[in-house]
Amino acid sequence: MGKKLVVIGGVAAGTKAAAKAKREHPDWEVTVLEKGKDISYAGCGLPYYIGDVIKERKEVVVKTPAELKAWLGIDVLTEHEALKVDTAAKEVTVLDKKTGQTKIFPYDKLIFATGAEPFVPPVPGIDLPQVYTVREVADADAIRERLDKGLVRRAVVVGGGFIGLEVAENLVLRGVQTTLVELLDQVLPGFDPELAILVQKHLEEHGLTVITGDKITSFVADESGNLKAAITPTREIPCDLAVWATGVRPNTRLAAEAGVELGPTKAIKVNEYMETNIPDVYAVGDCAENVQLITGKPAWIPMGSTANKMGRVAALNLDGGADKDALRGVVGTTVVKLFDIKAGKTGLSESMARKEGYDVESVLVPAHDRAHYYPGSHLILVKLIADKASHRVLGGQVVGEGVIDKPIDVLATAITLGAKVEDLAKLDLAYAPPFSTAMPPVVTAANVLLNKLTGRLNGIKPQELKARLDAGEGDLEIVDVRKDEEVLLGKIPGAKHIVLDEIEARADEIDRNKEVVLVCKVGLRGYLAALKLKAKGFPRVTVLEGGMTAWPYATE
Amino acid sequence: MAEKYVNARGLQCPGPIVQLFQAAKEAQAGDILVVEATDGGFKKDVVAWCKKTGNELLSLEDDAGVLRARIKKA
Ligand SMILES: Cc1cc2nc3c(=O)[nH]c(=O)nc-3n(C[C@H](O)[C@H](O)[C@H](O)COP(=O)(O)OP(=O)(O)OC[C@H]3O[C@@H](n4cnc5c(N)ncnc54)[C@H](O)[C@@H]3O)c2cc1C
Repeated sequence: MGKKLVVIGGVAAGTKAAAKAKREHPDWEVTVLEKGKDISYAGCGLPYYIGDVIKERKEVVVKTPAELKAWLGIDVLTEHEALKVDTAAKEVTVLDKKTGQTKIFPYDKLIFATGAEPFVPPVPGIDLPQVYTVREVADADAIRERLDKGLVRRAVVVGGGFIGLEVAENLVLRGVQTTLVELLDQVLPGFDPELAILVQKHLEEHGLTVITGDKITSFVADESGNLKAAITPTREIPCDLAVWATGVRPNTRLAAEAGVELGPTKAIKVNEYMETNIPDVYAVGDCAENVQLITGKPAWIPMGSTANKMGRVAALNLDGGADKDALRGVVGTTVVKLFDIKAGKTGLSESMARKEGYDVESVLVPAHDRAHYYPGSHLILVKLIADKASHRVLGGQVVGEGVIDKPIDVLATAITLGAKVEDLAKLDLAYAPPFSTAMPPVVTAANVLLNKLTGRLNGIKPQELKARLDAGEGDLEIVDVRKDEEVLLGKIPGAKHIVLDEIEARADEIDRNKEVVLVCKVGLRGYLAALKLKAKGFPRVTVLEGGMTAWPYATE
Repeated sequence: MAEKYVNARGLQCPGPIVQLFQAAKEAQAGDILVVEATDGGFKKDVVAWCKKTGNELLSLEDDAGVLRARIKKA
């Protein structure tokens, strides 16, 4: 007789685990319990369903219980909520929400795939009917319906993470006047500010109002009880729809009550085989903890990509054989598209790396995603982060309107395999003009970082330069070496203009007692100018990293 | 009024703007300049350039990666 496998939760991780387990063990009885009405849906697609990029509900719901039964032979019971797990008796108490009956499901093996839930703090007015979270298809249905009926003119989205931003983008695309409010002083927490600010500028250029460093403290309704405005300590934002997206929390109550151990991140603690502290009990997906591969520390990085892998690994380890499959950890790779801009990150950000105690070197390098003469080529901005002593690559972030997911995936692969900056610089990557450049963005960025690590190049980030200018530091001499036509479009206020071709002849015009900051479009001409000035004995020359491409502040 | 075609395809920034500058210098008021460029950065640059110089950007289209701007010289 085959064993009984019960899976609690039927979206990404749960259905993946169940399907793989049944393939491995055709004689097992596999049951998936899902408290909601839908299973196996693409949570990641919901913002686009709201935005009508995805036209119909059926496109986001990947599989139905009938299909899973017919194709894979697994039993999926929707509207079945697991209420209690008895790990001694090995049984799950389940409420059938359709009939109101309680049933007992005995198991030999149990997998928690209970996922995560939006974090909803007790803000006054948050329970108004027009304030939503976006997690399930039903949430998106409800928002869509309001949009389709023309009931939404102004919206507020709370939270500047990728879910909040994707929802905000789609509301703008549907013609809604949308304001995004983020508590931190940047959008995209997890990205370093140099890149996040470029994304924010792009959002604003496309009509989204972005407010950072402020928080919604309440929502207020009109006389008939409909949402009227979102309130912060400094302002009142009129709106008829609000979306709360300030992060998610792992769904662990059921597991914790059953004696399953939670980790330091408050998600279910599992080893690399997805085993919990209790024999025959596994946990996968957003409800479970991961290991951050670079630091080796527990981390909770709830992503659909990871959920699927965890589901598969658990399924392969159910029979406790010798050839166990393992997920050692994740590096934390994410990518997002917002209007025309794309942003991706992998590994540690510079600020995370510093918090972890690394001595960090980093660099900002704009590079073409394809041959510059090939139609559609774009400059993208790469940030590379490495450990100063070992040169190990710790992280990478890329932002731009061109192809950014390729460099991110190359970096994710390299970081997972423990690459050093030197390894990146020598990677044999695919090149023909429609695809990339002879020195692809990752390779170029690695070379510039090596120039920094070996003392050939002194760089300054736009944020640091701005802060020093704002502080009124008099020890700085900014020299823009671009052509007249470029400078006409704007230069850093107060910068001197000497084109690269004349920098040696006109070196006398530059105060050699000051720190000279050389500025161009991407950093290359600045570097060339720096070498020329160094050769002329200038003691302190620095290049503005990323050039004007990465300069998000006012120009003159 | 003349229409002048400026081929700035294949040029990296600031190439297209430099070419546009030259062409604008030689053009008469009311002339139309049609500039084609393949560098994605041209999109922003041409908008900024027109604002700065007071020339009128009639249209800016992205034709499968070829950016085509029509500008009326002021
Ligand atoms: C708007 C949005 C956009 C996203 N975009 C991306 C993206 O671009 N890339 C990416 O990698 N990830 C993305 N994600 C994250 C991704 O959707 C999740 O990581 C993924 O859904 C996790 O799958 P899961 O199966 O672990 O958990 P969930 O999807 O949370 O599913 C868990 C299920 O368990 C059920 N359940 C819980 N408790 C019980 C119980 N007691 N009894 C029965 N059933 C129960 C719940 O009802 C739920 O249906 C996005 C998420 C959202 C919301």
